[in-house]
Amino acid sequence: MARSVARVGIVANPAAGRDIRRLVAQASVFPIAEKRNMITRALSALGAVGVNEVLIMPDGAGLTHRIVRALRAPLPEGQVWPEVRFVDIEPGDTAADTLDAVRLMVDDGVGAIIVLGGDGTNRLVARAAGEVPLVSLSTGTNNVFPSVREATIAGLVAGLVASGKVTRAEACFRNKVLRLSVNGVPRDLALVDLCSSPELFIGSRALWRADGLDQLFVSFAEADAIGLSSIAGLVRPISRRAPFGLWLDLCPLERASRVIRAPIAPGIIVDVGVETVTTLTPGAQVPLRLKRGVVALDGEREVEFAPTDQVLVSLAEDGPFSVDIERTMIVAAQHGLFVRTGGSEISAASGAA
Amino acid sequence: MQLSKADLLKAYRMMKTIREFEERLHVEFATGEIPGFVHLYAGEEASAAGFCMHLDGRDRIASTHRGHGHSIAKGCDVHAMMAEIYGKKAGLCGGKGGSMHIADLDKGMLGANGIVGGGPPLICGAGLAAKMLKTGGVAIAFVGDGGFNQGTTAESLNLASVWRLPCLFVVENNGYAESTSSKWAVSCDDFTDRASAYNMPGISVDGHDFFAVYEAAGEAIKRARSGGGPSLIEVKINRYYGHFEGDAQTYRGPDEVKKLRETKDCLMLFRKRVEGATLVDAADMNKVDTEVLALIDDSVKKAKAAPKPTAADLLTDVYVSY
Repeated sequence: MARSVARVGIVANPAAGRDIRRLVAQASVFPIAEKRNMITRALSALGAVGVNEVLIMPDGAGLTHRIVRALRAPLPEGQVWPEVRFVDIEPGDTAADTLDAVRLMVDDGVGAIIVLGGDGTNRLVARAAGEVPLVSLSTGTNNVFPSVREATIAGLVAGLVASGKVTRAEACFRNKVLRLSVNGVPRDLALVDLCSSPELFIGSRALWRADGLDQLFVSFAEADAIGLSSIAGLVRPISRRAPFGLWLDLCPLERASRVIRAPIAPGIIVDVGVETVTTLTPGAQVPLRLKRGVVALDGEREVEFAPTDQVLVSLAEDGPFSVDIERTMIVAAQHGLFVRTGGSEISAASGAA
Repeated sequence: MQLSKADLLKAYRMMKTIREFEERLHVEFATGEIPGFVHLYAGEEASAAGFCMHLDGRDRIASTHRGHGHSIAKGCDVHAMMAEIYGKKAGLCGGKGGSMHIADLDKGMLGANGIVGGGPPLICGAGLAAKMLKTGGVAIAFVGDGGFNQGTTAESLNLASVWRLPCLFVVENNGYAESTSSKWAVSCDDFTDRASAYNMPGISVDGHDFFAVYEAAGEAIKRARSGGGPSLIEVKINRYYGHFEGDAQTYRGPDEVKKLRETKDCLMLFRKRVEGATLVDAADMNKVDTEVLALIDDSVKKAKAAPKPTAADLLTDVYVSY
């Protein structure tokens, strides 16, 4: 049964797709103007499937300003947009904005959150989203978790789930997640890959050099992925739904039991030495080999650690929920949710094709 | 990105020197002894240091009206800089340039610049020279968010790209062009959006984080030295003082600067990181603090006591014979 008020959240990271990989590789640029366009297309779709209210994360980088201007302009004929509200945070243009905004959206009862960003943005949203399912659209650099989909379709499926027209059981699946603890305290998580490196500093965040990569943990590994998880994906592909992950000890090429040529960043295909490959089962706590270095979460250096720190990695099955976009639209079609007039019988084709 | 203890201490000394230089000028300017205008760089130190730590004698930089930080980071003598700002004969330009025209060609510092957007054309020349002479040098223009809207900058970006010059265009976006918010006066939402129009890579970095700037700068400089051409780097940053000393800053929030100093001070963040990682002892950095304070104090004392240029100096340095 449909809910009385259907709310959807939208988190668009204005900074996604602008990091150093534009300099050291040929990573694509994602202008804010296009992110605005994607949001307006999603709003059209959300209105079309009966969503009443949309909560958007405000920013100080210009996206909010552009959305406000779009809201003031006359709507295209026949379109009805939901009420749009910016959640009440003071944007500092840092990762904390995303965490704060998502918490408020969850408190306000959104039924789904559309995320525009890369793996890093989705990681942040996942930390605060709880049980609310994500519709993840790629606008970042390493895009394994989110998919490259049309924002209109993302708006439709988010609206269908938030309004209860397609049930969560039909539309959603739960992701695995890699958890990182430092000195016994949970510190952060990764949705796709977690990698340790002897680099001393977080620096410009992205990790794009193969030399020195020490250990790689993946919650899933697709052979056609971009980023560090591709190393695992080309050794042993593991699906998002498999009840385990993978853990690779890496090493210099001359000591490697096998050398994998992997696309570790857009435009960067390098040889990586693999020493051992181990199945990572949920709950197992794996200490890092390195005594000092950084941990990259979903391709971005996030945590510096010193010899005094005990750093543990584990796989858990209680990650964020995602909306399966294709599955949701199939279910909607099967239920006839988009059939406006007439029956659903389809005549057999006749004559020459 | 690996930095030795010596590198870390060098970077810290560079940033601390800039900070104390500016903090002291803020105090001294209020006494009325300093002629002309000063535009302080305090808060932005990690940008100058992050780039200039990679440079050597082959390299050239061009600065802005807010040029003290870049000058110190490129190796200009602090005593001579202070004397210049006080308008004394011992100054880097004989006391006739002042804050906005500090230059030291021997150090590769092509000058602070009173013309907004004046630096980018200069580095195209320096970049072309480096390319033709095959020195391996790079040229960097530090430009503000206001300067980046100037036509001179647009022409220079185009020229550097067409000639594939070893140039870096560094937008130090501190949020205000004088008193006008960049959110109001910049057509794009992010300066990096402009890079693709000039067929060059553009990235943004957090200017409060020395390590983020240092790494991005290193990659852009490596690319330029190896013939890869120019880059655009936006450094998102904040200044602690007004556009100029005496600016009432009515355009800023009441606690804006206080909050910045408490949460985003690049020196505080640097110390926290290197001490936390047990890479440099607090005692080593405290020693730098003491030495820097003594240096700045001495430079002010000497500048105050130094003689002014004479009437005869008026007619020197006016024309250059090639």
